[in-house]
Amino acid sequence: MKLIILFFFISITSAFSQTDFVKWEKADFSYEQPVEQTRRDYSFESANAGEFITKSLTNAYWFFISDVDGDNCPFRPSCSVFLLESVRETNVFQATFMFFDRFTRDVNLFKGKNHYPRLKNGYYFDPAVNYTLVSEKINYLPPGFVVDD
Amino acid sequence: MIKFFSIIILISPFFYCQSDSFDFFSSQNIKKFADHLYCEGDYLRAVEQYQSIQQSISDDTTDYKIIYAYSLTGYLQKSNELFKSISTESDLYPAAHLLSLKNQLLLNRKSILTESGVSDDSVYLRNLNKLRIISMLYDEEMTYSHERFTYTFDEDEKIPVSKLYDEKFNPPNKDAIAAGVLSAIIPGSGKMYVGEWGDGIAALITTGLLAFLAVDNFEAGHDTRAWIFTALGGFFYIGNIYGSVAAAQIFNARIDFEFNAALNLFLEEKNYFVPVYDFCN
Repeated sequence: MKLIILFFFISITSAFSQTDFVKWEKADFSYEQPVEQTRRDYSFESANAGEFITKSLTNAYWFFISDVDGDNCPFRPSCSVFLLESVRETNVFQATFMFFDRFTRDVNLFKGKNHYPRLKNGYYFDPAVNYTLVSEKINYLPPGFVVDD
Repeated sequence: MIKFFSIIILISPFFYCQSDSFDFFSSQNIKKFADHLYCEGDYLRAVEQYQSIQQSISDDTTDYKIIYAYSLTGYLQKSNELFKSISTESDLYPAAHLLSLKNQLLLNRKSILTESGVSDDSVYLRNLNKLRIISMLYDEEMTYSHERFTYTFDEDEKIPVSKLYDEKFNPPNKDAIAAGVLSAIIPGSGKMYVGEWGDGIAALITTGLLAFLAVDNFEAGHDTRAWIFTALGGFFYIGNIYGSVAAAQIFNARIDFEFNAALNLFLEEKNYFVPVYDFCN
């Protein structure tokens, strides 16, 4: 009986042993998350005067404040990018109202509770296109929805 | 004991060893393998196997399985193209017809135009009528009254169907203009009206605080600071009116989204009124 058990043990360990061809190695995974600042477009390319002014102000804000302060906005797009997207979607006046509304929503301490869909990295997904007052453009996503970045 | 086990171990492989004379690629064996794949839910590979033997073995069950498999895996157009090849004499033709209408509904998301039945089978005709009527909920306008709409459905289906009808044609939408007007009177109240209480309170506090700071600085004679707070308060005030209108529109988009989700869920639960056949047991 002992011989049989011994035989089985040896057979099993031989069958599942590591071969010389595929050795286990250290995997080169990166656990770093891309930082928003590294993906910023600091150019002044603009379609109109309103967008140029907004882009200039945003670039200045990014360079002098946001890059130094860090990645603090809980939304994606961040509030400054939201303003730029708003100008591209509408005009500089409407975009200003959209920006102040976004700012107010950012002040809300309970914004994270059952409100916005999220990106995989946890940020609230809140695109400007949903706030242009054009119903057909609204892409509603439920709060539990996880958006691919 | 050791000898006994050794004999058992040595003899058993001879019983189960692979024979050279066994034809794995005969049509019958490919069909068995395809049936196995189908029952395991590996539909596309099953279809591949079925189609490889379609010249030698062809029956209406296999044809139905192929169009059903294509439908389940999202190849709706392909499924409908193959539906045309199913014989009208087949017992599965009514079910295949319902399946093709399901595909059509999933592709177009609009009401199925009235089609006459392809069989006199009462269950089939009833299911066809149910699918045709429920598909009307994808349209913006309805010609049927509530009673006429729910009449065709079974007792257990009447309640969800009636609810879907009400949600479609009497949705609990919020008025975007009312939200804007409310926020113009009391900042944030428009957002509270659409259920965004947190955003509403935030808007009320922000606008109220800036208004207070502006008034206080004017009274104290700090005109520059007062005007800065006035301008900021003004932007927040208009932004909150704008945001309330947008919030009402998003609320209505949510109602629409939830209605479509409920309708799709109901149809999925009913398998779009396509009969379910168990080909695996």
